[in-house]
Amino acid sequence: MRLFKIKKSNLFPFLRGLEGFGELWGPVRKGEKVVYARAKPEEFDLKALRTMIPAKKFLLPPKFTSLKFRESRWEDDYRPKRKVVFGLHPCGIHALNIYHRFYTRLYSDPYYERAKEATLIVGLSCVPDEYCFCYATGTSTVNEGFDLFLTDLGDRLLVWVGSPKGEESLKLVGKYLEDVEQKDISDYVAWRKRRDAAFKLKVDLDGMPEIVSFSYDSPVWEKMGKACLSCGTCTMVCPTCTCFDLEDEYDLKRDEMHRQRFWYSCVFREYSMVAGGHNFREARSERLKLWYTHKLVGFMSEYGAPACVGCSRCVVSCPVGINVVSVVRALRNERTAALWTKMEVSDA
Amino acid sequence: MSKPRIGIYGLTGCAGDQLNILNCEDELLKLFDIFEIKSFVMASSAADEESPLDVAFVEGSVSTEKDLEHLKEIRKKSRLLVAIGHCAVFGGVQSMFTGKKWEETYRAVYGKKDAVSLTRPLPPKPLSAYVKVDAVLPGCPIEKEPFLKLAGLLAKGVVPRHPDFPVCAECKWKENECLLLKGEICLGPLTNSGCGAICPSLNIPCIGCWGPIEKENWEAEAFLLKENGFSVEEVVKRFAIFGGEERAEKLKKFLEGKEG
Repeated sequence: MRLFKIKKSNLFPFLRGLEGFGELWGPVRKGEKVVYARAKPEEFDLKALRTMIPAKKFLLPPKFTSLKFRESRWEDDYRPKRKVVFGLHPCGIHALNIYHRFYTRLYSDPYYERAKEATLIVGLSCVPDEYCFCYATGTSTVNEGFDLFLTDLGDRLLVWVGSPKGEESLKLVGKYLEDVEQKDISDYVAWRKRRDAAFKLKVDLDGMPEIVSFSYDSPVWEKMGKACLSCGTCTMVCPTCTCFDLEDEYDLKRDEMHRQRFWYSCVFREYSMVAGGHNFREARSERLKLWYTHKLVGFMSEYGAPACVGCSRCVVSCPVGINVVSVVRALRNERTAALWTKMEVSDA
Repeated sequence: MSKPRIGIYGLTGCAGDQLNILNCEDELLKLFDIFEIKSFVMASSAADEESPLDVAFVEGSVSTEKDLEHLKEIRKKSRLLVAIGHCAVFGGVQSMFTGKKWEETYRAVYGKKDAVSLTRPLPPKPLSAYVKVDAVLPGCPIEKEPFLKLAGLLAKGVVPRHPDFPVCAECKWKENECLLLKGEICLGPLTNSGCGAICPSLNIPCIGCWGPIEKENWEAEAFLLKENGFSVEEVVKRFAIFGGEERAEKLKKFLEGKEG
């Protein structure tokens, strides 16, 4: 892996230079929220930690036309635009690696592959806030899955090169690159120490696969199911949620059917319904159990890591406080003040 | 292949759904092209009520005996019957009162029960309370795009499936901030998708005009709103707009039960 540095004052010109690859997108603050948007480098929020929707939207958009067909022929003209996506943090890149495994390991998803090819991932270091817990999921640093990764050391940024595509992109910005010296490395080590000491939220994921498995009949699920709104927000904002649904829509004007592919959620009742009307997970508690078992047990046994990267989007997004932190704490018999724990379970 | 014959009808309602079909200005010619329109009184008085229909679109709730007779006639001559708009699908705002309260309200407005002589009034109900409904398109009023998609599928011989997941999904696809988290009375989690989250995208809480999803968790929604400091009255009022009397009463009982 090659390493360079750039002066902080050259960050914006550096990003503008990368526009030679494609449209420049990054975290932009809009009111109280932050979203990945197409913008000028000056508009990016360099301190932003979590966007409303994660970068998975670049690889498979929330809703897109996957096929167009008429009576006798079909056409797949899905061609994602080339984009530079700036500002992903280590957790976000880990999430993209999980995405990558899911969409390429057994079957290669052509839509994912095309978008992946058209996207240049430029990571950015971060300092945790009171919600971050990537140290607990082992995703606070990242070695692969990005094309370039920038670490902000104050007056300069270190530039990791993570892929041949990243290497190639440096041709666009070669004039800003400088060689690193020993001091840069020692400053980086000191920065890491400071960063690692900055985590405030304590979550213990150690032993979770067993704890979740053994808690299969725990009353916690029932209680959670009572309070769950089944709104699906947790799955939409989760950077590792991959589920989608397909539906054919008729385009009257063009006399074409459009096969729409859109993000779907395992907490929706219809998700586990099969032909004939049988539903394998009719109860909300069963659907939540599926989600947490998938994230903390199933993925672990398949890939050796949980499908949670500690970004805390579920923590800041669920209206009733059902999230990885509160659920893990409840299953570990630890104290949690989450709203869902306060709802009385009625007899109904 | 001959064109599918359709009819567009209205029972008790504001006629906003039929109007929105007429508002599909750019696509109207295309609609005339793929369908043979036998009856659409709002657009043309030259209606043919004798021919059988492939598809009847019906808006409005059944609120009078005349409505009911009309609906039964339409059902008899139509292969498929599609309920359009909240009134036809769920009963509409008017179904806020259906039981004893309806009688009281009726008397308060019209005086004696038989004061209206043209037809006998009935407590407002959706079409499905009386006849078989083959497909639905909710909304108050229906939106142009979903209508055109539905009409298109029907023209292709497909009976459209009604989605069953909350509008919150569409709201998140648009990267809106959650209005429940911002302390608003938003009924998104209880409300079916399809509109594309129009209101919350404009920072206006969802009032549920696409009707409820199956097995909605209104208890959790009520619990959350109460935790957020809203009174029973405020919550019940919002539910009642598109929720129907039965649903609002259930909610009220639940909230009051938890009062003490």
